Amino acid sequence: MNSDKKFSIYKEVMPDEVIIYLSGELDLSVAPEMRSDLDPFVQQTKRKLTLNLKDLKYIDSTGIGIIVSILKTRDSLKAAFGVEEVPAKIQRLFDITGISQFLNPPEGSSERKEEII
Amino acid sequence: MKPVENNCVTVKVPADAEYVDIIRLTLYGIASKWGFSYEEIEDMKVAVAEACNNAVLHAYEGTSKGHIEVKFEMQEDGIRISVKDEGSSFDYEHKEEEATSLHNKDLNEINAGGLGIFMMQALMDDVKVHTEEGTEVILTKFLQRNGELA
Repeated sequence: MNSDKKFSIYKEVMPDEVIIYLSGELDLSVAPEMRSDLDPFVQQTKRKLTLNLKDLKYIDSTGIGIIVSILKTRDSLKAAFGVEEVPAKIQRLFDITGISQFLNPPEGSSERKEEII
Repeated sequence: MKPVENNCVTVKVPADAEYVDIIRLTLYGIASKWGFSYEEIEDMKVAVAEACNNAVLHAYEGTSKGHIEVKFEMQEDGIRISVKDEGSSFDYEHKEEEATSLHNKDLNEINAGGLGIFMMQALMDDVKVHTEEGTEVILTKFLQRNGELA
C-alpha cells in the first residue's frame, strides 16, 4: 500500500550474534509484522540477540510490549539479549515505563562483566 | 503565538492502526503552532497515540470499523485533546486499576498490559475518561509560560 515505508527492519547475522536494526516509527500498525519477523531470531539460542535502536524515531506501548516479550522469552531460554544505541527520547519512555532496569543490567552483573573483559 | 478564542481543530479518521500516524502528525503541527516545546510535543504524541490505540483495539471489536474523532482545543492554560470513538465502551475504570509501570518488579511478573494507560497518565498533566456513548479520553497539557514557573 505505501511505498515509502515508515518502519523498517534490517538484520545483520553473524556467527555468534544477530543485530536487528529498527528504524522509523514502531507503533501498533507495524507491531504484528515486527513480531513475526523477529520471532525466529528470538527463539534461536546459539546467537546473542541485539536490537539496535539508533534510527528508531518513535515507539508506543505496543513496541515496548514486544521488547518485554522478547526479554521474557530470552530469559526463559537463558539466551543473551541486549539493546544498544537508544536515542534520548526513546530512553525517556523506557525510563518512564520502567523497562530500562531490564535493559541495562547493573554494574557487577554477569552480563556486564563479560563486556569489561 | 497567543492563544485566541475558539481555537479548535478536529480530525476524524477510520479506527484503524494505519491512521494513528496521521493523528500524530496533526498533533505535531498544531502543538508547534500553539507554542509547545519539542519535548512536550513528543510526550503528547505518545499519549494521544495510546488513546487512539485503545480505540483501534477495543472500540469496534466484533462490529464494523467506525471512526476516531480527535479534537484539539487551545485553552487559556493549555491544550485539551479529546479522543472519541462511538464503539462499545472500553472498560477504562477496570483498566485504570491495572495501569502500571514495570518499576520494582521481577522479569517473571511483568507484562505490558497496563502500559498504554500508564504512559498517558505519566506524560500528560491530566487524563479524564467519559464512557457514555462510546469512549472519550480527554488529555490536558498545561502551557509552561517562560518565567512564571520555576
